[in-house]
Amino acid sequence: PSRKQTPTAEYPQGRRQAQLEQKEPFRPKSPQRKQIERESHHKRLQGRKPSSAERTCKGRRKRNAKASLKDQRTLPKKKKEVLKKETHKKIKKPRSSSLASSTSSGESLSEEELARILEQVEEKRKLIATMRNKPWPMAKKLTELREAQAFVEKYEGALGKGKGKHFYAYRMLMAKKWIKFKRDFANFKTQCIPWEMKIKDIESHFGSSVASYFIFLRWMYGVNLVLFGLIFGLVIIPEVLMGMPYGSIPRKTVPRAEEEKAMDFSVLWDFEGYIKYSALFYGYYNNQRTIGWLRYRLPMAYFMVGVSVFGYSLMIVIRSMASNSQGSTGEGESDNFTFSFKVFTSWDYLIGNSETADNKYASITTSFKESIVDEQESNKEENIHLTRFLRVLANFLIICCLCGSGYLIYFVVKRSQEFSKMKNISWYQRNEVEIVMSLLGMFCPPLFETIAALENYHPRIGLKWQLGRIFALFLGNLYTFLLALMDDVQLKLSTEETIKNITHWTLFNYYNSSGGNESVPRSPLHPADVPRGSCWETAVGIEFMRLTVSDMLVTYITIFLGDFLRACFVRFMNHCWCWDLEAGFPSYAEFDISGNVLSLVFSQGMIWMGSFYAPGLVGINVLRLLTSMYFQCWAVMSSNVPHERVFKASRSNNFYMGLLLLVLFLSLLPVAYTIMSLPPSFDCGPFSGKNRMYDVLHETIENDFPTFLGKIFAFLANPGLIIPAILLMFLAIYYLNSVSKSLSRANAQLRKKIQMLREVEKIHKAVKGRTTVTNSEDTPKNSSKNATQLQLIKEESISHSPNQTQAMDKKAQGAGTSSAYGRISQPASWNLLGSQPPEVRLDSGHHQSQPQICRSTSGKRAQRQPPH
Amino acid sequence: MGSRASSLLRDEELEEIKKETGFSHSQITRLYSRFTSLDKGENGTLSREDFQRIPELAINPLGDRIINAFFSEGEDQVNFRGFMRTLAHFRPIEDNEKSKDVNGPEPLNSRSNKLHFAFRLYDLDKDDKISRDELLQVLRMMVGVNISDEQLGSIADRTIQEADQDGDSAISFTEFVKVLEKVDVEQKMSIRFLH
Repeated sequence: PSRKQTPTAEYPQGRRQAQLEQKEPFRPKSPQRKQIERESHHKRLQGRKPSSAERTCKGRRKRNAKASLKDQRTLPKKKKEVLKKETHKKIKKPRSSSLASSTSSGESLSEEELARILEQVEEKRKLIATMRNKPWPMAKKLTELREAQAFVEKYEGALGKGKGKHFYAYRMLMAKKWIKFKRDFANFKTQCIPWEMKIKDIESHFGSSVASYFIFLRWMYGVNLVLFGLIFGLVIIPEVLMGMPYGSIPRKTVPRAEEEKAMDFSVLWDFEGYIKYSALFYGYYNNQRTIGWLRYRLPMAYFMVGVSVFGYSLMIVIRSMASNSQGSTGEGESDNFTFSFKVFTSWDYLIGNSETADNKYASITTSFKESIVDEQESNKEENIHLTRFLRVLANFLIICCLCGSGYLIYFVVKRSQEFSKMKNISWYQRNEVEIVMSLLGMFCPPLFETIAALENYHPRIGLKWQLGRIFALFLGNLYTFLLALMDDVQLKLSTEETIKNITHWTLFNYYNSSGGNESVPRSPLHPADVPRGSCWETAVGIEFMRLTVSDMLVTYITIFLGDFLRACFVRFMNHCWCWDLEAGFPSYAEFDISGNVLSLVFSQGMIWMGSFYAPGLVGINVLRLLTSMYFQCWAVMSSNVPHERVFKASRSNNFYMGLLLLVLFLSLLPVAYTIMSLPPSFDCGPFSGKNRMYDVLHETIENDFPTFLGKIFAFLANPGLIIPAILLMFLAIYYLNSVSKSLSRANAQLRKKIQMLREVEKIHKAVKGRTTVTNSEDTPKNSSKNATQLQLIKEESISHSPNQTQAMDKKAQGAGTSSAYGRISQPASWNLLGSQPPEVRLDSGHHQSQPQICRSTSGKRAQRQPPH
Repeated sequence: MGSRASSLLRDEELEEIKKETGFSHSQITRLYSRFTSLDKGENGTLSREDFQRIPELAINPLGDRIINAFFSEGEDQVNFRGFMRTLAHFRPIEDNEKSKDVNGPEPLNSRSNKLHFAFRLYDLDKDDKISRDELLQVLRMMVGVNISDEQLGSIADRTIQEADQDGDSAISFTEFVKVLEKVDVEQKMSIRFLH
């Protein structure tokens, strides 16, 4: 295996080793390999016998194994066994080595392994022979017998019986190769995870919380790729391939008035002109029921894709939330040992960068300080009235800010509608909404932070408040924007009727005026000249498109100015400045996790809202996420410094997911409202001419399905059926909710019980410790010995082969009698095991290391005794 | 380099190391080349200075303790056997190892041996107890001078109060194990040695 294959990314543990290894310069490997092979060959030529140490070791192991089996074999027999085995080995050795020489030294079967397997096979055979005499229940005997037989069958070849031997060796070789292949494949898979190395790099410099943002970004990118595939595969590409070409009908043509400017960059930049009349927007699609030779039902597909975008997003968000929360239940008892954990486990041994190490020092210090502050906070008495007053004041100020920003946006959107009616408007007037929204998003969060300083909250709680407020700001802005947009839509809808009449009238006049000369049928009116409606759907789509693009640009410019240029300035001007720029005022920027996550969540909300009216929006978003992945990775590595306070990533992750779910739900509402209750435009989009957009469903069911299916659907849509179904769902939710509540209550109770047991244990121990104060010199040694012994037992208890259980029982008895600790805690843990209901798993499944020290011993007992 | 590595390693030695630590043949040769590259004195042993050149150890507040763990009592050189013996604590526990060798000597990379390695980092005077003073020293290393002695003392007291079970105002190995029983030591204290 060459060095290039070294899997640095697979496990963080691997990294250190890899780093150690990479430090040395590359040296060709082959001479070494050759040397090894030559040597091993040399060895073989010598006809090596097992060294005496090896022999004794094996003999001892074997003896032990037998003892544990409670085998009634006599000593001479045992000796014979050993001898026999050695002769076996001697005979076998040349063969195995001849086989081994054909492969590289690392992959062949070592003699040691062979000997071990041989031993095990012998053991199993003996077990089969003596099975009858064992004092075990029948079921156990049967399973053991089956296990042993399978084992013997599998490894019989190792005993060296003619062809079986070769076959066995071959099989083992293949198995090894297979394992190696699997490992290589796993490495390959890790390499295929996009940006894994980049993220690991960031993680090592900035801690897991910053990395969690990038992991979230990557997850979002994956989700968007799926959405992109859905929309492009099922809507845009069929339309481009099979739909009517550009210019064939009015909705697919740039109107005459816009034609001359339609290719200008400034027009295209606003998503007007040719882009507006392209497959990126709702209005381009025709209301033909089927298109192309495939008879693809495009309007139906459009509707279903719009629904499934939301369906898929909801499903994936909820699923990842559930999988996150499953992991988080395991943190139960650890708050018993907050300080111990901080002392013993706070250092990250993988840190190899001195700057990061400094930051880690700082973060450890802060975390200690925080816990000291927590301690003091609980004891401190404060002027409650002043704090209360300040908090009320702060909230009042922030609500004022929120209302102000909401009104500002409403005002700006209204004004932009007036601007849009005017000709010759400036660039500022055209982009006012986007600029104001971006500015609000930029300046309000710091303002909130300043106001929040009044409140004097604990920083952890303060962060949550801050997040909530920014969330409210974004949400308020978004909804104000939506309301203003809705006003616009209503306005357009009200004028639609007159435009419809005008269109009819124009066409009517046009064709009637040609009545004079019937011999030459007049060519139909050019589609660009047909008067048409305003198509509110496309207008909405364009708004979202522009918002997304401007949001992206503002983010990039902020990063470039606020992070990169600032970092450059601080770095290079520090030599000739009157104060220390790096430590003093401007300093380097920190990576703002909460702000970045929130803006990511909100832009995703906009994508969800807009994707129904602008199918191309998801494509833009995919590009945006892709570029922002690279750009932000670069920016964070080049110009940010790690946080002073590193907060835990795993907990906040689900919080972000919750925000995402909320945003998803909120963005579902306006889309659902427009689909259900607004009539589609009469002359654009796949649903034109219908009363409501969802009528496409009725149409398909009526025309394309057999009549009985249509009847079934009609029956299902009956309110008499839907209302009971909803009621049933509510009942199910109620039931599941109460079940989960009671389970969590039981969980809490058990936890309390454990806590109490621990305290009782402590008192017991303390009493014991005081009585044995005199011989305190050797007690710790004893106890540690016991501990290791017990530890051993615990690890054995994982596997269930018969000799092990036997040996364990024996040891457990020994341990139980020798250690005071074991005696005391045994009854306690019986109780616990007995009373634990099967479905409430106190995260013992996750950590095999977690059970109390005596669990294995008491667990074994508990199997025999009926639970209390 | 590679040829030197294996020529300096005698077969018997290699076999013994293999048996003692459970490393595979190629892992041993690989680690041996690493060993020799660390060995600036080129005398077949490593000194403390050699270890301190590793950046991860140099910046680690407990780096000296870790380096100390490589050296046996009173010596300031470690040979390859000793080096490997210490590294063996960090070998990952493989699946097939859990079932075999029930009665043999406990492998160096078992959970309790891993924990004991960690415990020894804190237990300076080797009395199998972490006393308040030892905790204070560790804390001092980890936080520098930013926190007052009094506060550090209270942290140490709190830590002992949490972990202590038998009321002797010190943390024994049993108590240490108990504290860390939730931590996935098998995984956390493992380095993926290359094959």
